[in-house]
Amino acid sequence: MADYKDAPLASRPKTLDPAEYFNLSPEYRRAEEERAAVRANLKRQYQMQLNNPHRKELIEDPALNRWVYARSNIYPHFRATSKTSLMGVLFGVVPLIFWFGVFKTDRDNREEKIKAGTYDRTYKISY
Amino acid sequence: MRTSPFCVRSTERKMAALRAGSLARALHKAKGQGFAQMFFGARAASGESKDSLPGAFPKTPEEIAAAAKKYNMTVHDYKPHPDDGLGFGDYPKLPARSQAERDPWYSWDHPDLRRNWGEPMHWDFDMFIRNRVDTSPTPVDWQTMSRTLLGFVGFMLFMFYLGEVFPSYQPVAPKQYPFNNLYLENGGNPEKEPEEVKNYKI
Repeated sequence: MADYKDAPLASRPKTLDPAEYFNLSPEYRRAEEERAAVRANLKRQYQMQLNNPHRKELIEDPALNRWVYARSNIYPHFRATSKTSLMGVLFGVVPLIFWFGVFKTDRDNREEKIKAGTYDRTYKISY
Repeated sequence: MRTSPFCVRSTERKMAALRAGSLARALHKAKGQGFAQMFFGARAASGESKDSLPGAFPKTPEEIAAAAKKYNMTVHDYKPHPDDGLGFGDYPKLPARSQAERDPWYSWDHPDLRRNWGEPMHWDFDMFIRNRVDTSPTPVDWQTMSRTLLGFVGFMLFMFYLGEVFPSYQPVAPKQYPFNNLYLENGGNPEKEPEEVKNYKI
């Protein structure tokens, strides 16, 4: 464990996390116990629904519904800050202007060459 | 018995009136909000209640505790996305770890997704499934990997460059044709005498 180097963009496995072995403070243990309690409660709810012989419908997952709802309802919480305005300009406005400039100059150059008769059509299949 | 034809027709009429009434109520509710809200604003009474769905960014400790409870997380773990207007609301910011990193031997409720029922999902959960982005640790560290790859690619590029500068192939010459470079076959005048082409030197 002493010379294990984490790779960037990847995580250290939980079994190599020093906190599991050296940090045995009561707060850490209490937090772990709370998490285990939440997890056990969810497991119990799921098992009760899964093994219910009178159940005819699918078990719906509220966490999945929340995830889908959050991903589709971004606009109500959107605010026009400097960061979001900058992103809007960078991704929405600048590409239009930039690519317009690029295509226009390229086509103008090609038109000039065609008019002057210097356009090299050696490997062109069309035009 | 309420199954005689006359009674059935009257209950049908009542149902039609009920449906028309609910449509009228939906239209009334949506009148200030526009056409799209008419369909999406009036939600059915079945399904989630409004307070179990994601909401606005929590500011007070009570809101934080309520949001943590809503998402089935402990208050210690619940951290919302920073409130910079990007539209996350109170959705929790979970560590960006892919599902491939989770224990394969634990009895998950959904084994292919390695997830339990009710567990809060990462914002990019569909990116982190096992078929897609994998953030698990690599057998060799990043520096070694990148140095090996760049070293190999760089070496190959350098060698190809050397091959361009110092080409090495069998000696070749342009193809030589008989009969004065095929004078008649290339459409030369049969009356005229072709000029002599000598393709060799003794």
